[in-house]
Amino acid sequence: MSHRIFLLPLWLRLWHWSNALLIIILTVTGASLHFADPDLTLVPFRLAQRIHDIAGLALVALYGFFVIANIISGNWWQYVPKPGGFAHRCLVQTRFYLWGIFRGETHPYPPTAEANFNALQQIVYWFVMYFFMPILLLTGLLFLWPQWAPKQMFGVDGLLPIAMLHYLVGLVIVLFMIAHIYLGTTGVKVTSLFKMMITGWHED
Amino acid sequence: MRRFPRIAAVLAGIFAAAVLTGSGLAAEAIKGAAPTDPALIEKIRKSNAECIACHTEAALKAPPRADMDLEKLKTALMDPALFDKSNHAGMECKLCHGQGYVPYPHDPGARRLISACTECHAQKSMRIEMQFDASVHAKNLKDKFTCQTCHDPHVYKVAQKIGDPHQIVAQDNAMCLDCHNSDLRFAELGVTMTPRKARPDIDKIHDWLPNTKAHWESVRCIECHTPVSPTKSLAMSHEIVAKDKAEKNCVTCHSQKTALRTRLYRHVAETEAAQYGFVNSAVMGSAYVIGATRNSYVDQAALVLIGLTVAGLAGHGLLRLVLAFIRRRRSS
Repeated sequence: MSHRIFLLPLWLRLWHWSNALLIIILTVTGASLHFADPDLTLVPFRLAQRIHDIAGLALVALYGFFVIANIISGNWWQYVPKPGGFAHRCLVQTRFYLWGIFRGETHPYPPTAEANFNALQQIVYWFVMYFFMPILLLTGLLFLWPQWAPKQMFGVDGLLPIAMLHYLVGLVIVLFMIAHIYLGTTGVKVTSLFKMMITGWHED
Repeated sequence: MRRFPRIAAVLAGIFAAAVLTGSGLAAEAIKGAAPTDPALIEKIRKSNAECIACHTEAALKAPPRADMDLEKLKTALMDPALFDKSNHAGMECKLCHGQGYVPYPHDPGARRLISACTECHAQKSMRIEMQFDASVHAKNLKDKFTCQTCHDPHVYKVAQKIGDPHQIVAQDNAMCLDCHNSDLRFAELGVTMTPRKARPDIDKIHDWLPNTKAHWESVRCIECHTPVSPTKSLAMSHEIVAKDKAEKNCVTCHSQKTALRTRLYRHVAETEAAQYGFVNSAVMGSAYVIGATRNSYVDQAALVLIGLTVAGLAGHGLLRLVLAFIRRRRSS
């Protein structure tokens, strides 16, 4: 008989799927704007610009909600890498993804109510949510209100380095998203973790 | 106001220019090139000083003569500082204004003898006239619209001589906004139009344009309100078009093949940043234009990185599937 524990409250699941939807919209429209070409149109420029602005502002608001809800619920603690063999736990987890998973081994650190994330998830999620996301959102806001950007930086228009940073951090988020979706298939069954993200219940 | 030149007048201008070009001295005067001979410079300076003594704001406030018509003078002022930076700097006032303005009171017929722009700019105006005839200004305002409606010869400087795109934008957009952002000036020029047209609010009709203010500070009205020329060496067209024909396709500028290269930035050389993969490096010194100012190496690296990630994960997944299948077969 399978073992069930309730891990993910409703607010967290709603945030996760809204965040996912916005990131996908922003990726598609952002790529349409950056790679704009009269001969190859993904989303028409004007439409892409409008959608990107609205979705970007929505993401800022959603991130604000995420931070506040994490503080109030205490969920922020899940993201903090815990001392006492953290590097070892990362190594064990990496070995599992590169070797054990092919041999059908079980997850070395299955989630519990106290420790929802494994060590690799902790460090990667922490960087994505508390380092890369703020940079992405701040540079995006400067894009939206370019009068706040420096006039010149490194001998070029001040918006250019900001745009480069926005683009590179956006790329990191897109790479994370691709890997994140794939790792979602590494549960007991291919669909287990997706199901957990919908129902909130983890089953093993 | 003088009528915009007809072809015959232009041809006469070219002929006159060709004849006068025979002597070096005349050629210098015709082309309006600043003289280099110190004696001539001094002569022009003295001659111009006589005009400037009255035709400035300072003279209006403290008239040098008691018998002057100050109301009339108000309409004939110039700024010597701006003139000295203009295309026509170093030219003698009399060269265009003629001898009729030398004595005071000025000759009542002197105004008729002011040289037309085409007398010196004959060749250029041949091309410009055809473009102008197709413009919205020619259609709506006809003879009321002349070169000087936009180009004040005491102030105007060609883009190539200004160099800095921001200064070019400031000068050229001010020419449009002088009328299109002034009810008084718009009504003055449009008085003969039937039906009379009220000046549309410039902000309202451009509110579809994202970051409108940033656009107006970074590009000229004519980037969108003139047809695109595919040739970098050709000057901007004088066929100013109304909103129905104006450019509305953002990617005309916002793409790697940006039209800005043959427009605002056609006088700006590509910078050394181009060596490091920056596309349209001429533009990036003064403006960030999404879609146009980007780095092709970073773009390629980004696409390769995404491709490798997808391929790596697909390979990982496929191996998992195959090994799981083998394990299942073995255990059964």
